[in-house]
Amino acid sequence: MAPTSEPVNHAERTDTQVVRDVLAGDRDAYRLLVRRYADTLHAHALRMTGSPDEAADLVQRALVQGYRKLARCREPERVGAWLFRIAANLCKDHVRSQKPDVPLTVVDGALRSSADPASDAEGAEVRARVWQALDALTPEQKEAFVLKHVEGRSYEEIAAVMDVSVASLKMRVHRAREALRGLLEEYA
Amino acid sequence: MNDRIHRHLDGDRAVELDAAERSEASAWDRMLDAFRSSAPGGGNAPPWLEQRVMAEIEALPADGPLRRALAWLVRPAPIRVSPLAAGLVAASIALLVALPYRGEAPDPGGSAGPSASSGTPSEETVVYVQFVLEAPEAVSVSVAGDFSDWEPSFALVDPDGDGVWTGRVPVRPGVHAYMFLVDEAQWRTDPNAERYRDDGFGNRNALLAVASGV
Repeated sequence: MAPTSEPVNHAERTDTQVVRDVLAGDRDAYRLLVRRYADTLHAHALRMTGSPDEAADLVQRALVQGYRKLARCREPERVGAWLFRIAANLCKDHVRSQKPDVPLTVVDGALRSSADPASDAEGAEVRARVWQALDALTPEQKEAFVLKHVEGRSYEEIAAVMDVSVASLKMRVHRAREALRGLLEEYA
Repeated sequence: MNDRIHRHLDGDRAVELDAAERSEASAWDRMLDAFRSSAPGGGNAPPWLEQRVMAEIEALPADGPLRRALAWLVRPAPIRVSPLAAGLVAASIALLVALPYRGEAPDPGGSAGPSASSGTPSEETVVYVQFVLEAPEAVSVSVAGDFSDWEPSFALVDPDGDGVWTGRVPVRPGVHAYMFLVDEAQWRTDPNAERYRDDGFGNRNALLAVASGV
């Protein structure tokens, strides 16, 4: 049976109104925030972890944590960015905790190949190496690199969401590029 | 890899590259395209995720009016304070908090707390500053600054598990730079500081002004 979602007849409400309603006791209104932001959070979690199951678990934790801490969201009009920050921090912690134990090839094999056409085996191998190299970065470098070069966000946008300076972000991305430089000969 | 190529990859199209740099930049562009094209997943969350999240939320204990009122009371809100007012407040805090410790000398080695005594009387005053960081995902949070020789030796606590970490730290009068260290690995700038200063390494230190109060 396919999962179903009941229609929520308040799609026109702004984030600020939804936050206010949830804090006033309307739990179901939170469903609207889940629908608005779950995809964005999940896309980032998937790129950070490389595992659909882990990404879904992290997003679920982030969204539940967001509900429990909603009263501490200082800018309800930016609740999406606030939820993203919770999810991104959970992802970084997850990546950090996984590093010593999980062989990179295990993570790669299960997931990255699913995004690759079967007919492009050689290209898939190169891309797998690319993502394997990305897994070797620090969690902060990987996060900055993914946000900048995979998700295509501007430094200013990332800085606003992650609450770090543009200069700091640039430094992380620059260091990530330097670390990935060894791959460049594949594309030269 | 030189700075001009970094600027090109950062999106600065005004930077002029020579032939060799253009070749390297082009290789980088191709590699970054490969990253984007091979990024896992289309981004959509699985359809059952909403149901799981809402089911977990429904299972949480209900918030009564008293609990909601309490949540409203403790909800953080930005308060704008002018530097002069902040100085006066800090001076008041210094008078109220530091008086019991006046006359006690700080350890010359810098390792002793305000209650330590080296036996040498001193007029040095310390002010207990309350540091607060909201970090619901954190396992541990500490604060480090020039007042601790940048050692994260002052641990903050979150006894009720609400994700708000607090701690009182003795600081001598003056202007101090500081940062939080989350989970012993992630340096984080205080988002609520009144002033900031670049640390020269790409990070931004928060600044704290403590008045002597005398």
